[in-house]
Amino acid sequence: MTDNNTFPGSSQALNFCKNVFSRALRSSNNVPRHIGLIMDGNRRWAKRKHVEIKEGHSAGFHSMSRALELCYEAGVNTATVFAFSIENFRRSAIEVDSLMNLASSGIRQVVQNGEMAEKFGVRINIIGDRSLLPEDVLREVEAAEKITKDNTRAVLNLCFPYTGRDELLQSIIRTIDKTQNKELNFTNIDEAVIDENLYTGGSPPVDLLIRTSGVTRLSDFLLWQLSRKGVVIEFLDCLWPDFGSRQMAWILLKFAYKKFYSASEPELDEEIEGQGDSYSKSKQF
Amino acid sequence: MTKIHSAVMKDHDGNWRKDQRDRQRVPAITNGRTNPAKPSINKVKNSIESMALSPPDSDVVKKKLEQNQMKGIWSQSGGNIEYLFCKVLLGVLFALYAGIRYVQYEFNRIKILVLNLAYNPSNSPQLIRQDVMKLEKLPRRLAAILEKKREGDVGGGVSGILNDGSELVAWSVSAGIKHLSLYDYDGHLKRNVDDFRDNVFHKLSKFYDPKNVPKFAVRIPQWNKVYFNSPGSEASESKKVLIEISLLSNRDGRETIIDLTKAMAELCAKNEMKLSDITMKLIDTELIQLVGHEPDLLLYFGPSLDLQGFPPWHIRLTELYWEQDNDQVTYSVFIRGLKKFADCKMNVGK
Repeated sequence: MTDNNTFPGSSQALNFCKNVFSRALRSSNNVPRHIGLIMDGNRRWAKRKHVEIKEGHSAGFHSMSRALELCYEAGVNTATVFAFSIENFRRSAIEVDSLMNLASSGIRQVVQNGEMAEKFGVRINIIGDRSLLPEDVLREVEAAEKITKDNTRAVLNLCFPYTGRDELLQSIIRTIDKTQNKELNFTNIDEAVIDENLYTGGSPPVDLLIRTSGVTRLSDFLLWQLSRKGVVIEFLDCLWPDFGSRQMAWILLKFAYKKFYSASEPELDEEIEGQGDSYSKSKQF
Repeated sequence: MTKIHSAVMKDHDGNWRKDQRDRQRVPAITNGRTNPAKPSINKVKNSIESMALSPPDSDVVKKKLEQNQMKGIWSQSGGNIEYLFCKVLLGVLFALYAGIRYVQYEFNRIKILVLNLAYNPSNSPQLIRQDVMKLEKLPRRLAAILEKKREGDVGGGVSGILNDGSELVAWSVSAGIKHLSLYDYDGHLKRNVDDFRDNVFHKLSKFYDPKNVPKFAVRIPQWNKVYFNSPGSEASESKKVLIEISLLSNRDGRETIIDLTKAMAELCAKNEMKLSDITMKLIDTELIQLVGHEPDLLLYFGPSLDLQGFPPWHIRLTELYWEQDNDQVTYSVFIRGLKKFADCKMNVGK
């Protein structure tokens, strides 16, 4: 979206700025480790611009790679992207088809051009209920996972078709299945076990969610992970295709600033009066 | 499947006071005087100093910086200069951010102040009713996350959170909302349920005719208990209530889901249940029994949204509302939340 900027060398300058910015942020040591993205507003954007819905979705895809580029550059380890909800199958067949096509061609693009995958060493991970995918898309998806499986620097989780409740249900079933097979005693079931068996099992805990287009709901995305205390949730008013590196940079800066101060100024625990008294007494005697 | 339910309830029952986990829990983050979002000049100074002077405390950062040194733009001048440059730049960025944030904060505070003046219920249900009448739809179930503030602050301590809760009850009754869930991380409300009922009764008798105070029920899903009206008056009253209040805490969130998983695993081990019996529907009905229904609107009265372990199964499509930089439980947030809910369009999957 920066190419209407025609001043010679401006794109290099912009890139340079981005580079320096992300390096500075990274040195703060307070970058989120796992980001969740709900890319909302592609269709509304297309309607507003009077273009086909398909183009809205592909503009959204570009917007996603721009945002992710900055994130990975700044040191984010994992990004989980809500690409397709199980509920989305309710949309018109044509749109579901075009979304499927876009997803598989998008995945192919990422893998083959390899720009993002190579530059950042991104491992692509498809999470969700795969049994709902058409066969050709499934093949594409598996190929992408296979090609990128040795990349270790960053992870991109594509939720495709996914809902948070389904994830939790599958985790519960998997956990119980393990107790059946005597791998696990049911008295040892705790938060960590459920966490491990979620689709996002191997990833660090989610600490930032970004949702665009002014909707303030989670819409069945990462329910278990986001309800945890201390997770930062950002709802933005702009539509997803308009979401650029500038907004991303601002959010990352905000996050780093907040974490920096909550780390350097630990909350003073409220002193329980009784305890304080007994302590001072015991000192006297 | 009442077997599952009773198994989980057995787990919850009785020994909650002895529950070590309940005692060890850290106090909820207060948002009183030390609002971490509130910027100050001192912080900026601090940040620049520590950014520039303190060495990185993690090996990962060191390693990364060493890597950058190999291919960095400043590689000729060595890694130290580049590192220093990064730190200085970060300090500048933080300072810039703090400046912008300070303006934003003051702006938001003024906005909240004006809104609080504009929306003033002054203990009269008629005014609230008037505000609500303009709305197209009302949430059937409302939930709110409350926080205990510092003991010394205005509206702090346990009495503060009890007061906030009962105020919300009074507004909800006036607005005509039938189900209200109040969540606080540490469960202060449910531990002081008798005080809470007293508080609600007093608040309602300020709003309504003291001889004819609306009836209410307080439900504590964790202990499977329901209380009617204020302490001492439960027996004489009929069980028809105007509002049902559920008191929730962190215990009703993930831990309840874990208890449910344990109970089901035990039943599976005894062959009283098959793995294929576990469906979305089963878990949903069980969690509705154990915790309650999903709220339509969730209000949060803190400066920036933090779900604090609110039951995860129950926020699937819940509309979330909070006011940036606000830290008080005020009527203006309540009514603006209802307005936002009335305006929002729900289209699942589409």
